[in-house]
Amino acid sequence: MILHILLLIAVVLFSLLAILLRDLLKSAISLAVASIFLSIIFFMMNAPYIAVFEISVVAGLITVLFISTVALVKKEEEVKESKLVNYLFPVFFVLFIIIDIFVMKSLIGRLCVIKGPSPLGNFSQVFWKERTFDLIGQIGIIFAGVFAVIALFRKVNSDKDKDNHE
Amino acid sequence: MSSHWLLYMGFVAALIFIGLYCLLTMRNLIKLLIGVEIIAKGLSLALISTGFVRKNILIAQSLTITFIVIEVAVVATALAIIINIYRHTKSLDIRKLTKLKG
Amino acid sequence: MALTFILVPLVMASLLPLIGKISKRLLPDVLSNIVLLFLLLYTVFVGRQVVILNAGFQQLFWFGEKLNINLALDGFSVFMLLVISLVSFAVGLFSINYMERYGSKSIYYALLLIMIAGMNGLVLATDLFSIYLFLEVAAVASYALVAYGLKHDELEASFKYLMLSAVASAFILISITIIFGFTDSLSLRNIAYGFAVLNSKYVVGFCTALFIMGFGLKAAIVPFHAWLPDAHPSAPAPISAMLSGVLIKVSGIYAMTRIFLNVFGLTPAVSTVLLYLGVISILVGAIIAFNQNDMKRMLAYSSISQIGYVILGIGLGTPLGIIGGLFHLFNHAIFKALLFLNSGAVEMSTGTRALDKMGGLAKRMPITAATSAVASLSIAGVPPLNGFWSKLIIIIALVQAKQYGFATIAVLASVITLWYYLVIQRRAFFGKINDVFANIKDAPFWMSVSMIFLGLLCIAFGILFPMLIKSWVTPASDVLRLSFNYAINFFRF
Repeated sequence: MILHILLLIAVVLFSLLAILLRDLLKSAISLAVASIFLSIIFFMMNAPYIAVFEISVVAGLITVLFISTVALVKKEEEVKESKLVNYLFPVFFVLFIIIDIFVMKSLIGRLCVIKGPSPLGNFSQVFWKERTFDLIGQIGIIFAGVFAVIALFRKVNSDKDKDNHE
Repeated sequence: MSSHWLLYMGFVAALIFIGLYCLLTMRNLIKLLIGVEIIAKGLSLALISTGFVRKNILIAQSLTITFIVIEVAVVATALAIIINIYRHTKSLDIRKLTKLKG
Repeated sequence: MALTFILVPLVMASLLPLIGKISKRLLPDVLSNIVLLFLLLYTVFVGRQVVILNAGFQQLFWFGEKLNINLALDGFSVFMLLVISLVSFAVGLFSINYMERYGSKSIYYALLLIMIAGMNGLVLATDLFSIYLFLEVAAVASYALVAYGLKHDELEASFKYLMLSAVASAFILISITIIFGFTDSLSLRNIAYGFAVLNSKYVVGFCTALFIMGFGLKAAIVPFHAWLPDAHPSAPAPISAMLSGVLIKVSGIYAMTRIFLNVFGLTPAVSTVLLYLGVISILVGAIIAFNQNDMKRMLAYSSISQIGYVILGIGLGTPLGIIGGLFHLFNHAIFKALLFLNSGAVEMSTGTRALDKMGGLAKRMPITAATSAVASLSIAGVPPLNGFWSKLIIIIALVQAKQYGFATIAVLASVITLWYYLVIQRRAFFGKINDVFANIKDAPFWMSVSMIFLGLLCIAFGILFPMLIKSWVTPASDVLRLSFNYAINFFRF
């Protein structure tokens, strides 16, 4: 249990670091480290498939996408974030954590839940047989993402001259 | 067992707060996307921890896999839009995107 | 088979890039429009069966024994399918000519078909997470479609839309997770049963608040409307028609109505909140639409106002209110799509959207002017066109429920709506013609066909509204009226 709490604090800490750092590369890498800690937590919660998926997709694919985008926009001048934000943030965050702990403590023992039908079988049976409708949706969203990227990167050749004048 | 669930939900709330704060105050476009990413981490933690506490981890895993696929599609589209914005305004500052008003 | 509503557009969309390599213009156009026509005819055919087989309401449950796909084709789903297929067919015809200057028509049609498949899936789902999943499918397709022109305005609008929509989806998913935590199941039937047994008002209230924030942003209810006046004018005209005519209704209002009325049950507190949100939307939309110079921006604010009417009708909860709200949803889809298509035709001919630069276009563009006049009179509520009847039913329902203040505001806003639509008509189409536009031509063939199609629908449904209400709207409202007992008793698979 203590290990769970420590790992969760690590995830929150690295996410904090990801938004407080100014360099975009370091932010992306900090996000990837937070993903690795999150997947260790998932592994400890008896969810091995999600742990693998999280590392390979979120800490792998999305980090690569971020880093390649940063490489493509390399010539920008530094976007100055406001300094006030960095100073105010710890104050708000500590305040929020206090309110959070308060609310959660007051809810202990006041929640009653009911038991629903639990699916039998192993993971592949549940994934393929019980949530089959989700698979059609997943195919749809993959197509949507791929076509969106194709549509946004297509060559619009009638305005090439106008863009050169701007 | 519900006290464990509240513990996990507390951390989920902290992650969502960090993500929302990032969305409200950051000016770099890619930092805004990192904020959306942090919110997504909070949501996958919420789904898996709810499944873990209710002993229903298999359904929670299926939902979370689907959610991560959705998140990849959204991030890819957002990055494509950001690269195109950079080609137009040569800057990643959100204060340059104020042409539409009223 | 109800699954064809989702599979046919999806399969066609996956084949379209390959077809686009073979033939750039002819085959994508023809095939996509055949698919849209097939969806429309299949909807009408299936809908008649659902309605005829049982007086009152009828639902069909389809689930393959080998697969575990549970789809529900009840009155409300078939009603929404009809709205989606009518508007998407008109938009498909319109895009044949309009999207010539954007290039890559095969990718455009692919994204449009994916968006339609996503919306169909949302409407047919009986599982809370499937509703969320197909909502995201339609949303991702719409992010790319809003930014389709790749100019500065469109990219800015699409980026803001994406950020706000991602936050709204996060709220919806948090609420779904909390519901999963409490009832250990995700199908609408088990959730309805679970919450009926549990008697936990605060949890349901918290989840309702999160859902109002999430779905309210998707439906552009004030105060969550900030993305709409930027996203809808910047998109290409047929996409504006799809977004404003169908997407905000399916993603926002259908999902919210299904969950609030069929799963949670409409408590007086939620009803009051919806009534107030509806009235504020009506007023804010109508007032800000006044001093807009951009034609499409005025139409976007008018969308916010009319969605307020729908929320007002549905939030009332009485049978007449729900019938009025749903009928207004149907009418608004048709005439708002027609108005956006008209603005697209005007923009293609004159090259501008600014109202003070236009004038006297009616002589050179008769078809566009005529259909625009029909649509403007419909939305302003002039008898015997369809907008008048739906607004009348909502106002009568409000008076019957003794909400006289809301009824007065609804009537006043209707007058304001009439005023600013007459302003558009006068400035754009009547008056003296601007010399710059002395040689413009009217809209090309397919654009005119689709505009005339929607205009005739406006007139036909205005005259034949009793038939429409009896056969399509009443089964939908019967489904909603039974509240959570419907989900518990009838969603048996």
